[in-house]
Amino acid sequence: MIGTKVMLTLPHRPIRILAALTLATAIATLIALVLWAIMAAATGNSTGSRIDIPHLLRMTSIQAGLTAVLSLLVGAALAWSLNRLRFPGRDMVVGLFASAIVTPGMVVAFGLLSIWGRNGWINRASEALFGTSIGNPAFGLSGILLAHVVLDGAFAARIMLARLDAIPSARLKTGQSLGLSAWQRFTLLDLPAIRGTVPGLAAIIFLLAFTSFPIVLMLGGGPANQTLEVAIYAAVRQDFDLVGAVYLATTQIAVCSLVILAASALAPIPTSFGASTAPRWRDAGLAQALQITVLGLCLVGFALPLLSVLVDGLSSGIGRIVAKPSFWWATASSLLIGSASALLTLALALTLALGRGATGRGIVRTLLGMPAFAYLAVPAVVLSLGFFLLVRQLGLEASFAAPFVVILANSLLALPFAMATLGPPLEAIARTRGKLIRSLGLSGWQQFASVEYPLIGRDIGVMLALAFCFSLGDLGVIALFGTQDFQTLPLMMFRALGSYRGNDAAAIAAILLIGTVVAFVGLPKLFERIAHAAR
Amino acid sequence: MVKSTRLALAVLTGLIASPAFAQDLPKLTIYTYDGFAAEWGPGPGLKAGFEATCVCTVEWVAADSSIGTLRRVQLEGASTEADIIVGLDTAIAGEARATGLFADHGLDLSGLSLPEPWTDGQFVPFDYAHFAFVYDSDTVATPPKSFEELIALPEDFKIVVQDPRSATPGLGLVLWIAAAYGDRAPEIWAGLKPHILTVTREWSESYNLFLTGEADMALSYSTSPAYHIISEGDDTIHAAIFSEGHLAQTEVAGILRSSDQPELAKQFLAYLTSMDGQKLIPSTNWMFPVTDIGDALDPAFATLPQPAKTLTLTDEDIAANSQRWIDQMLAAVQ
Repeated sequence: MIGTKVMLTLPHRPIRILAALTLATAIATLIALVLWAIMAAATGNSTGSRIDIPHLLRMTSIQAGLTAVLSLLVGAALAWSLNRLRFPGRDMVVGLFASAIVTPGMVVAFGLLSIWGRNGWINRASEALFGTSIGNPAFGLSGILLAHVVLDGAFAARIMLARLDAIPSARLKTGQSLGLSAWQRFTLLDLPAIRGTVPGLAAIIFLLAFTSFPIVLMLGGGPANQTLEVAIYAAVRQDFDLVGAVYLATTQIAVCSLVILAASALAPIPTSFGASTAPRWRDAGLAQALQITVLGLCLVGFALPLLSVLVDGLSSGIGRIVAKPSFWWATASSLLIGSASALLTLALALTLALGRGATGRGIVRTLLGMPAFAYLAVPAVVLSLGFFLLVRQLGLEASFAAPFVVILANSLLALPFAMATLGPPLEAIARTRGKLIRSLGLSGWQQFASVEYPLIGRDIGVMLALAFCFSLGDLGVIALFGTQDFQTLPLMMFRALGSYRGNDAAAIAAILLIGTVVAFVGLPKLFERIAHAAR
Repeated sequence: MVKSTRLALAVLTGLIASPAFAQDLPKLTIYTYDGFAAEWGPGPGLKAGFEATCVCTVEWVAADSSIGTLRRVQLEGASTEADIIVGLDTAIAGEARATGLFADHGLDLSGLSLPEPWTDGQFVPFDYAHFAFVYDSDTVATPPKSFEELIALPEDFKIVVQDPRSATPGLGLVLWIAAAYGDRAPEIWAGLKPHILTVTREWSESYNLFLTGEADMALSYSTSPAYHIISEGDDTIHAAIFSEGHLAQTEVAGILRSSDQPELAKQFLAYLTSMDGQKLIPSTNWMFPVTDIGDALDPAFATLPQPAKTLTLTDEDIAANSQRWIDQMLAAVQ
């Protein structure tokens, strides 16, 4: 799909391509092993699924498709507004928006309910002011979409904002001197900058919504809105029909692969990279009013639910939680797991993205793009079962292997997000600076150290923040491993929630959220500084 | 195993862990669900209590759910390290028995005080509560007194229940309605449908929807109010008692046939049902003890209303029909 002209300008980097292909093969092999381990453990035949799969696929696809489209639209509008507007606390707001996707879904769902629910802030205000309620929009398909758009739209906005903030100042200066209107500026400068992120983002968001399990079940209103994951969970846990579970999982993987294939096969789209020291160029009048409106709406829709999580948590006695030694153990475990996973994710994402950027062949690009999404396509309960069986096959003690499995699983989980962050700028560098790099005769390492790294420092920070916060996450993947001594903050929160201690859970949720925002505000800045110091 | 998770974490941090010296004491490995082994659960107290009487060490290995413990031993087969599983319940006891992995307990359990006399030769009960809908008397002045009264309420009276395929109480409700109404169960589910705000994956999600005021009642346990009374001094949460009678969830423990410590395992189960063991259960697991522990039972438990009638289903009934009952429920609330 890429013309030979591009191939000629790309530096010759066989090692990068080889490393990426090796890694891609390793990930594919791991997934195959997981499924094989389950098949090998299965005894007896499948009792057959009692689920109407075509119906389920249709419903889930509609929901996931709507989620993807809405999230991208909302994300683009929000990124556009945030790129233009400057106000005190802007970094904080950007951090808060970005933190939605890495916050445990259940926390976001309860945050949403405390704003939009029957007993939420809006209903209570509306009843006090007008004596009438807005009903309960937070359940059913509208509830699922609302929750998903909050989670995914804000994430899309964060990724797109990074691209908008990287538009070279020269382009902006030219645009400004040409007197582009707000609309022309959007279509001529902004749209080309964010187009490169759309395939990856669309695929991630679709897959997240397609496989999302607790949110869909909780806000969906009942089995009518469930996803295939529920059926797979039932097959593994309740029916213990392992063969059936593998069939269902394969169905899900096949459907997801179509989406992944479409996203991975698309030609790279030129984008810009690095931070721009853009001259302030405000849009005038109507456009600015629109930006303020978009931001205002998003703050009410997205930030308020998260804010309510903070309010609930802080008012329910954080002191009691931080006084517990187990809280500090959990914090230490979370930090350790999060850091290790983030570094592993960085290594995996760089390997894949550098290899992908180094090749001009469409088929190789596609092959290197697909494994990043593997984790999203494979049902969590199948992975956790498969990992447990593999660890046993290897003769390892389950509880010894548990932290390593968690780190590996978390890295794979964060990988598509990391690829969406690092992929577009790395491709752009290879394509726009390729000629220069070739003519200078830079080695692969020199290319990375003196060209790529300084330009993507900030993106690495965003990626590390994402991967780190994701990986504080839940330990579902080691569900069977023996988890009593291995406690992370999210797990501690779910355990508290599961034993009536809603207040403790709320306090931990607030602490997690604060940590996440700090990571999202701090890490990109830190890495931008380090990368520039290196230059 | 306790040591090895710590060891793995230490390896990760680059610390040099001083390997703990293996003790020569016999070790009793018990699989359970993680809420049971958690710091506020009964696990730590039972371990300390039993270790004080035996010359042994107790090790809890917690899976994420009680069904998870059963699945783990099924996957491990005879090579399992587990001597005992603690925390299965009467709804899955039949399936667990059918795996052939469990041995007879050999205990005399005639002295237990349960709603129904205990006759099971393999599983030992250690706590119970009835499934029940809970409500808040501040917002619900007159709770429904039966499924039929609930169905007759205006549609904006909302309840939250759990998916029977993923949550124990969710399955409990399916069995409860089947036990109470038999062939009329689909009709009851269809009547409940407009009241069901949502069907959650876990009990905790339902319960918190109820606590945050999103729903008027949540499917939980008759003992849930005791937590609020004892831990929060809040006496507004109550269980609605239904005239059809209630199904009880009895949690059980069983010895694995493959255990290399069968005598020790038997002693543990005897301890679990003894006065000393039972005293630890109510205010850690929020269930009724199976032994009369007299004054050691917090008075809050004594004030809880008890259903006039306890419904029961046999293992055979559950094994033969639960799939069909779940399908009926899913079809009705679809």
